[in-house]
Amino acid sequence: MISGLKGLLITIRWLFRKPVTAHYPKQHLPVQQRYMGFPSLLWDITADEPFCTGCMVCVRECPTQCMTAVMHDNPKFTEGTSHRRKIIESFEINLNRCILCGICVDVCAFDAIEMSHEHELSSYARNGARADLPALLQIGISFQEKTNWQPVSPERNVAATALSKKAAAAQSRDAAKSAESSEGEG
Amino acid sequence: MTVTFTDVILVTLALLSLLTGLSVVVLSLTWLERKFLGRLQARVGPTRVGPMGLLQPIADAIKLLFKEDVIPGGADKVLFWLAPLLVFVPSFVVWITIPFARDVVIRNLDLGLFFFIAFSVLSIVGLVLAGWSSASKYAILGGFRSAAQLISYEIPLIMTILATVMLAGSMNFIDVVDGQRTVPYAVLMPLGLVIFFISGLAEIGRTPFDIYFAESEVVGGPFVEYSGAHWAVFFLAEYINTFMVAALVALLFLGGWSWPFGDLPSAAAMALFLAKTYLVVLVIFWIRGTYPRLRIDQLMSLSWKVLIPLSFINIILVAVQLFYGWPAWTLTLMSLAVLAVPIYAQIRYQRIPAMERARRYAERGIVQRAKVRS
Repeated sequence: MISGLKGLLITIRWLFRKPVTAHYPKQHLPVQQRYMGFPSLLWDITADEPFCTGCMVCVRECPTQCMTAVMHDNPKFTEGTSHRRKIIESFEINLNRCILCGICVDVCAFDAIEMSHEHELSSYARNGARADLPALLQIGISFQEKTNWQPVSPERNVAATALSKKAAAAQSRDAAKSAESSEGEG
Repeated sequence: MTVTFTDVILVTLALLSLLTGLSVVVLSLTWLERKFLGRLQARVGPTRVGPMGLLQPIADAIKLLFKEDVIPGGADKVLFWLAPLLVFVPSFVVWITIPFARDVVIRNLDLGLFFFIAFSVLSIVGLVLAGWSSASKYAILGGFRSAAQLISYEIPLIMTILATVMLAGSMNFIDVVDGQRTVPYAVLMPLGLVIFFISGLAEIGRTPFDIYFAESEVVGGPFVEYSGAHWAVFFLAEYINTFMVAALVALLFLGGWSWPFGDLPSAAAMALFLAKTYLVVLVIFWIRGTYPRLRIDQLMSLSWKVLIPLSFINIILVAVQLFYGWPAWTLTLMSLAVLAVPIYAQIRYQRIPAMERARRYAERGIVQRAKVRS
């Protein structure tokens, strides 16, 4: 009896609260910072190229086999503006197949792939959710800009850092070598 | 008495306007229910069709009328077509004598309440027929349940109506309302109001008592096999009944169109009556948004063990007060005292731990003892 009256009071109190409904297509709720959406490929600004080298680790580890990747020789490596010998040529993820497990992100040694905030991918075509390299990079770049994304190991993967580190190492090696040779001379 | 052509035209027009008015009321009720329930559950309810979803009921009606009207292969076709009418016609006919204000009524009958009782009972036949003719086990179960429930709850309902009739000294709706010019019967007879409201809820199958619709048990009861326009007729009858019970609560217990500060002009009186009715309707929706459904044994024992004895006691109280000519407030006191008894018993019962309650239940032999672990 009393609990029944309490129940009535509870429901009537909800009447005067603001509804929690978000009118979805008109009104988008903000995506949380650590929201795990579809995977995307990231862009290395320092070398103006993707992080991805096309090593195919993610392709092999993907439980739903939703990815394909093709690599080729990186022309920027021969120019000396990048430390990546190989670079991705084409990459495709069938986002209809992706189960958002994040394994590709875990296994990537190049900080090249990241779960973005992208989650609205409905399309009218049967293959509409197949994302190719430019599309994945576009998602990744907007994700990078929005969340101020930082690579996990920049000294290995960011071209500028890696190149300068390499240069410094070469310099110190040269210095050591010259010192050695001068010692030998002396 | 000779019936002239003008009479026929007038009656037809009155019935047509009544049908239109009731349809508008039903549309408003569906909108109100969805909006109100939505807000109770922190949702917004319909918003898309029209401003604030106001055109949603019209869209629903159009959808229902254009849907295919399926008749199951094993159904008894005549009865299947007849059943919705048998449910709808009584709930519609009753409105002929229900006054909206002193002079806003199609035909004021001296035995208005008797007429109401006589016709409101008829809808059981329609529900049972709908269940039987559908050739579906869920429908027939729902039909049986509706028969059991409606017959059980008719007794307290009618007994409480009888008590108000005793107080007013008339079965005429207008006289009953006139008897509440100063003090509404809700104040004189709170016990009667509670019994009438609860059994009225059961009579129309609103939520704590929606056992014969019970989507989760008998998937819609007698209406399982109905679709399209025939289902719409049931739906119409259901909401007209809801409005009817609310209107009766307003007329018999809340003073109808009268208020304690003298007589109102006709339009204002009607507005007051409608306001009271919609208030009761909102309480019905509020209860729907709060309580879960009863079990069928709880439903039956509530009626036969609690409401029927209380309704007889209610009549005896009124009779004693009227016979000895005691002042009106004694009736209020007696009524409240009797109302306090089941409330107190219920509170005491709820204080008992659940396991102990289950053991007592088992000892009475309703549930096998072995099933209750001590």
